[in-house]
Formats: sequence, structure tokens, C-alpha cells
Amino acid sequence: MVKQEKEDKKSVVPLSELRPGGKGQIAYLQAKGKAQMQKLLNIGAIPGMNVVLVQKFPSYVFKLGHTQFAVDKELAHSVYVKITK
Amino acid sequence: MLRDFVKNIGYDDPLEASLSKIEGLLSSEYGISKRSAALMILQEDPDISETARKREPAESAKEIFAIAAELKTHYSYPLTYIITERRQKEASRISSAATTVTKKGSLGIREAVSRAMMNPFIGGPILLAVMYYGLYKFVGNFGAGVLVDFLEDKVFDHHLNPFVSGVVDKYVPWAVIRDLIAGDYGVITLGFRYAFAIIMPIVATFFFAFAVIEDSGYLPRLAMLVDQIFKKIGLSGRAIIPLVLGLGCSTMATMVTRTLPTKRERIIATLLLALAIPCSAQMGVILALLESRPLGLIVWLSVIVGVFLFVGYLASKIMPGELPSFYMEIPPLRFPQASNVLRKTASRMKWYFLEVLPLFMFASVMIWLGQITGVFGFFVRMLEHPVRWIGLPSESAVAFLFGFFRRDYGAAGLYDLKTEGLLGGNQLVVACVTLTLFLPCVAQLLMNIKERGMKVGIAMSVFILFFSFSIGWIVNMLLSISGLSL
Repeated sequence: MVKQEKEDKKSVVPLSELRPGGKGQIAYLQAKGKAQMQKLLNIGAIPGMNVVLVQKFPSYVFKLGHTQFAVDKELAHSVYVKITK
Repeated sequence: MLRDFVKNIGYDDPLEASLSKIEGLLSSEYGISKRSAALMILQEDPDISETARKREPAESAKEIFAIAAELKTHYSYPLTYIITERRQKEASRISSAATTVTKKGSLGIREAVSRAMMNPFIGGPILLAVMYYGLYKFVGNFGAGVLVDFLEDKVFDHHLNPFVSGVVDKYVPWAVIRDLIAGDYGVITLGFRYAFAIIMPIVATFFFAFAVIEDSGYLPRLAMLVDQIFKKIGLSGRAIIPLVLGLGCSTMATMVTRTLPTKRERIIATLLLALAIPCSAQMGVILALLESRPLGLIVWLSVIVGVFLFVGYLASKIMPGELPSFYMEIPPLRFPQASNVLRKTASRMKWYFLEVLPLFMFASVMIWLGQITGVFGFFVRMLEHPVRWIGLPSESAVAFLFGFFRRDYGAAGLYDLKTEGLLGGNQLVVACVTLTLFLPCVAQLLMNIKERGMKVGIAMSVFILFFSFSIGWIVNMLLSISGLSL
């Protein structure tokens, strides 16, 4: 049980840490302040949503549900996802 | 029915309880349901909260905000977060019940093109191709070349102007009034002719090309490509949209800077539009001036790009305020629909004529007034000094003054000097650089003041006045020292 929890912790990473093509489910948001958090909520980046990282450079592009979004490094660092296969 | 359905989203206990308490306390009209108003108060919406504070009796207002404050302590996240999460769950539940998703094997051509546009290595050449065919070929060669030649030579020079001059000569006995209507700088012969024969075909082709690019979904992909570079000049990738529009009409683009999220970004974008983004009318004349001087064109372009980056960088260091942040939806690529493109082009043209045409007429009247009162002569003599400092003949001072009333008047004035053989290659480049940077046309100056306020608008203009001549001076010096002959 304890081992399982540790595993879970390890597999939760910022969206920016996924490799291109990597999939995950949003676990939580940790934004630098209200305005940043609001931006993420506005585009629908909400815990439980599935994401696929499309590319990392020059900006982060990811699929959220059926929609694609581009965000900068700051915002990509604020979304924590649980890696799924 | 949908209304009822949505109303029925239940929140978890403390939230739902506080929500109905606040709902019961609200007594005035908000234009939305009480439940929605209560939800917005809980999410700290500034407008609704302000209204509630004003309109509700003091007692209930106090209670409402006390409930909201107490509720917050139950959660470790802001209430917006909790509420949005709950709504999203409900939306996902409905959509998964109502839709089925079929898996596609390959990415499909659309997605492949989209990825290519966002690829840092392939995206650059794609941008160059869009600029070359969309701007240079279509707007430059077709709009500013073929269409302008037809309207100016055939319609105005051969038919309309002689006709107007004929009528005016016959029926107007006063020379001063004849000049106002049909003289060298007359309202019809200059103002109207410039507006319809030169500017209209250029902006029409530009707006058309821009609408095609806009509707295809290319712009967000471009924004995503340039975001990192734009962060260095205090902007986010989003600002690419007004800046590209500025290559058509900087005045309209200044209005479009409203779409930028922070005041800091709006000010920086306005400054760069006024200083370093040449509009389509200006570019047409500059390309004509530097025709057959490819090296000169390269020097001009490098100086303008350099100034753009340098001033943007400085502004981002000096300006206080929130740092830009970038997030944008990347919509699917689409083939633009002809009807949408035409409607967009038509509505922008309409705006252009209603807002800008009166200013052209006004400029013609100002030039006429300035000439008969001698005020113009005075300003021209004042401008002759800085013009000589940057190594240009005094005659070009007139072009700079007219350039203020309309940037392309100025460029067209230089064109006359070139045909008379008064300007050499180096001088042409210096003149083009200075004129591109020089004060925006009177329409843009007024728009700057309208959008950014009197103080910022005037301060920008003064800065640009000095800065443009300083850069002209530096370029002239560097060219003489290096012994280059362009």
C-alpha cells in the first residue's frame, strides 16, 4: 500500500516534463498566483482531464480533451499530471 | 430545458449550503439568475461583487460576504477552482453520454500540416512563403502594382482629375478655392486620389490576404512559434496578430492591441507599431524607392528589424507591470470560406473608409491651409536642419512634413526627388529608414491618443521624432565611414 502511494507520487510530474507524445491525467494545478490559475481554468485545464503533450519547443503544445492549446513554460510547469500509458 | 438542466448541477455540501444562503439573501436584480449571481460572488467576480455591495441592504451585504469568506476556509483551493472542476465533470458526463469517439489510425494530412507549421525548423520557411506570396506577390505586385496603376493612370489621371480641373476652372473664379479642390494638394486631386487610387487597392488586397490567413487558423500557430522571442521584447506570442495587421494599416492595428491582456503589452505593441512597423502604403513606396538596389533593401530591413528588437527589449526592461504570459487555443486548420473572407474584408474596408478617409480629406485641407498661411514654410525650414544632419538635401524636408500627415505622402515625395536625381543610393536608404521610423501618420497619432491616453500618446510621438532622426544620423555616419555605396 505504502509502496503504491510512493509510485503514484513519482508518476505525478509537471506537464512540461512529459516527453512529446506522452499522455497523462491532470492531478492538480500549482500556479504562481490567481491570474495564472484563472488562465488555466479558463482553457479547461482541470483535474481529471486527459492530456497529450504534442511538442515542447519553441512552446508547449498539448491536447486537452479534443482541443489543442499552446502555452509558455511557466504555465506548462503549473499543470501537474499523472502519467498514463 | 437546458436551463433547468444546468441549474441542477449540485455542488458538495458546504458549497451548496452557502450558495443557497446567499441566493436567499440577494434581493435586487442582476440580469442573471440569483443562483448564477451567488456563484459569481463566491468566485469573487469584481463586477457582480461591486453591484451586490452597492445594491443590497447593508445588513445582507455584510452577511453575504461573511458567508463567502467562511466558505473559503473549507477548501485549500480558490473557489473558482472548485466550481470550475465540478462544472467540467458535469460537462464531461453529458458529452460522454451524448457522443462517441472513433479512433483514427494515422494523423491525417491536416494534422501533419499543422505540425509542420509549428515545427521550429519548417515553420520559418513556411512563414517566409506566406509573406512572399501573400504580402509581396499579392499585395505588393498585384495590389500596389497592377490595381494602383490602373486606378491612378486610367481612372484618375486620364479621366477624373482632368474632368474635375475642367469643371473647377470653369465655375470657380477664386484661385485659392480652385487650389483647395483641384490643386497639386487639392481635396479631390490629392486627398481623394490617394485614398481611392493608391490606398484602397493596397489595403483591400492586404485585408483580403489577412482574412484568408486568419480564417485558415495559421495565426495561433505563428504566435506559438514566436512566443519565446516576443517574451524578450515584453510581449507574448499573441501580439503577433496586431503586429502583422500593422503591416497593412498600423492605425487599425493600434485599435486591435485591445486584444492584448495587459496594459504593459498594449503600450509596448502601440510603440512598436508607431515606430518600426511600416504600413502597406508606405512599404509600397519604399519598395519602389529601393527598386534595383537589393543591398539597400537589405540594409533598410536589417535596421528596421534591429530597431524593432532593440526598442522592444529596452521597453520591456523599463516598463513596470505584469510579465506577459502566453496561452492560446490552436484551432484545427481549415480551408477559409469565400463568403467569410469577403465579409471580413468588406467590414474592415468599411471601417477604413469611415474612420480614415475623413482624415485624408482633413490632411489635404491642413496642407492647403498651411501653405496659404505660410505655417508650412516655417515648419519646413525648421525640419531642414535635422534633414541636413542626416545627409539629405533640404528639399526632402517637405517630404518629412507631409509624411506626418500621411506616411505615404512623405514616401511619395521622396519618390519625386529620386526621379529628379536628387538622391543617391546611400541617401535613399537613410531617407527610407528615417521615414519608416518617423512619426506615424496623423490618423495613427490620433488613434494612439484615443487608445493610450493623451500623456502616453504625446510622449511616444516626441520620443519617435528624436529617435528616428538619431537612427538616420547613425546609419548615414556608418555608411560614410564604411565607404559603402548602396
